[in-house]
Amino acid sequence: MENNLDRVMEEICLDPAVLGCLFADQQGLCIGSKGQASNETSGYITAIANQVAKLEPNSKMPVVTLENENQICMIQKADTITGAIYKKL
Amino acid sequence: MDRPNIQGQIGYLTLNSEGAVLASEGDLKNDEKTAGILHGLITLAHNRLDPKAFDKGFKRLTVTYEDHAYVVCLSNRKIHIVKRQVQAT
Repeated sequence: MENNLDRVMEEICLDPAVLGCLFADQQGLCIGSKGQASNETSGYITAIANQVAKLEPNSKMPVVTLENENQICMIQKADTITGAIYKKL
Repeated sequence: MDRPNIQGQIGYLTLNSEGAVLASEGDLKNDEKTAGILHGLITLAHNRLDPKAFDKGFKRLTVTYEDHAYVVCLSNRKIHIVKRQVQAT
């Protein structure tokens, strides 16, 4: 599984606009990170995804996007894994 | 309060910094549940992301579902939430 995840992370980081990506498990523990994303924030990423899951429990999991002037962070939960991608604008 | 009508808007909520509903309309009329969940989300997301990949607080937070989205902005110590339809791509 780790090899697959490594390959996916490498593919994501091939995009020059991507600053980094991070994946966390159900408990908020980091299962992989690449680029500038540090594994210290994996708990927050999972907490954000869990909080947003309460909004419309019967709908498909949404994508949470945080934006500032220079960067964008996209967070989505899929089954037990939460992923976050940081991009520059 | 004078509010511009945003294209595709199907509801809005204005909250104070404590999360109390100041104004609401459309799908989000008196929607305390959504207000509480999104206020919790802002509290979670504020300045907690990776400082290397996301150097400032966010300007806009979007929760995107398949056919609609919640857009959250902070301004003048108020939280502005708009629920709007999104075009499927």
